Amino acid sequence: MDEEYAKHFQTVLANMANIGIRNAARGMSAMVGEDLTVTMPTVKAVPFYEIPTLLGGPETEAVGIYLRVEGAIPGQIMMVIPYPKALELADLTMGEPPGTTKHLGPMERSALAELGNLTGSFFLNAIADKAGLAARPSPPAVIVDMVGAIMDVILATADVLSEEVLMVQAKFLRNGRETQADFWLIPDHHTIETIAKQIEAKNAG
Amino acid sequence: MQDNLAVGLGEYKISHTVSDVLVAYGLGSCVGIGLYDPQLRLAGLLHAVLPSSPNGAVEKSAKYVTSGIELLLEEMIKAGAVPSRIIVRMAGGANMLTAPGFAHTFNIGTRNVEAAHETLQRLRLRLVAEEVGGTIGRTVRFYVRDGRMTIRTVGNQEREV
Repeated sequence: MDEEYAKHFQTVLANMANIGIRNAARGMSAMVGEDLTVTMPTVKAVPFYEIPTLLGGPETEAVGIYLRVEGAIPGQIMMVIPYPKALELADLTMGEPPGTTKHLGPMERSALAELGNLTGSFFLNAIADKAGLAARPSPPAVIVDMVGAIMDVILATADVLSEEVLMVQAKFLRNGRETQADFWLIPDHHTIETIAKQIEAKNAG
Repeated sequence: MQDNLAVGLGEYKISHTVSDVLVAYGLGSCVGIGLYDPQLRLAGLLHAVLPSSPNGAVEKSAKYVTSGIELLLEEMIKAGAVPSRIIVRMAGGANMLTAPGFAHTFNIGTRNVEAAHETLQRLRLRLVAEEVGGTIGRTVRFYVRDGRMTIRTVGNQEREV
């Protein structure tokens, strides 16, 4: 891939992710039964090994919601939320006043899993529509542990240690309450080719 | 005073400064393998990610358990260590996803530990302690002063391996 094309490719991916995250917010709104808006979604490529630092260091306690993506564009989606933020997000999802959730029991984990599931599905649907490629997520897995241990899950499947992955950052707003969520998109190696080919075909057509 | 030297993913570090502590933070399925020559007070810690290179031995990398141990041992010998004196401590190798449907990552921690056992045996290195497996992340500290290894998990105190 030459540099100009790589840049173009990244822009296209960023646009797709942008549409995906807005779509995901609609899914979340439907789930919580109230209007949930997304502000300032940003998409950028970051080296994988920098992720733990961005999340406060590899030893920071966090919650990971993990989806394996199957279909025409296989890959992985990981949503990582620092632990205190995850408690806020659980309150927000379950419609509780802020500060209600003190720890993540089975109920709260299940709510977060559902949130990740919905977000992931809506996100994938948007990308699938845009690129004309079908994909579906696995049931979500919720991991509560150190950031480093959570990110190991991705490395176990895809050898991306020295590569760049897509980071999507978005702020979710509901009734003046705001929670930030970060997603990491890690396409399998041949998925990049599949999407690139599809884009090329669309450009040519 | 002690100085923490972070050993990142796919890296190894050695030290003979007695106040140094080699640290691999937040190991999930990764393994932290510590080699120690008590006579020199020389310690080396490897933070390996995967069992071995998928396409044969193309390039030796510390990312892999197999080649990582070899590289670390070479580095230790260069610094004067004698293999017969070296003792090994190891921690990590958890299986973070146990739900059905994640078979692709399912046993990577176990495979890392198996690869380490095989490699240590092949290189005739003596494993004296380990805390591996399970489903939780660990931070591993390896003390140059005495070759002690400790682990810390979320919400728990540091304890010896």
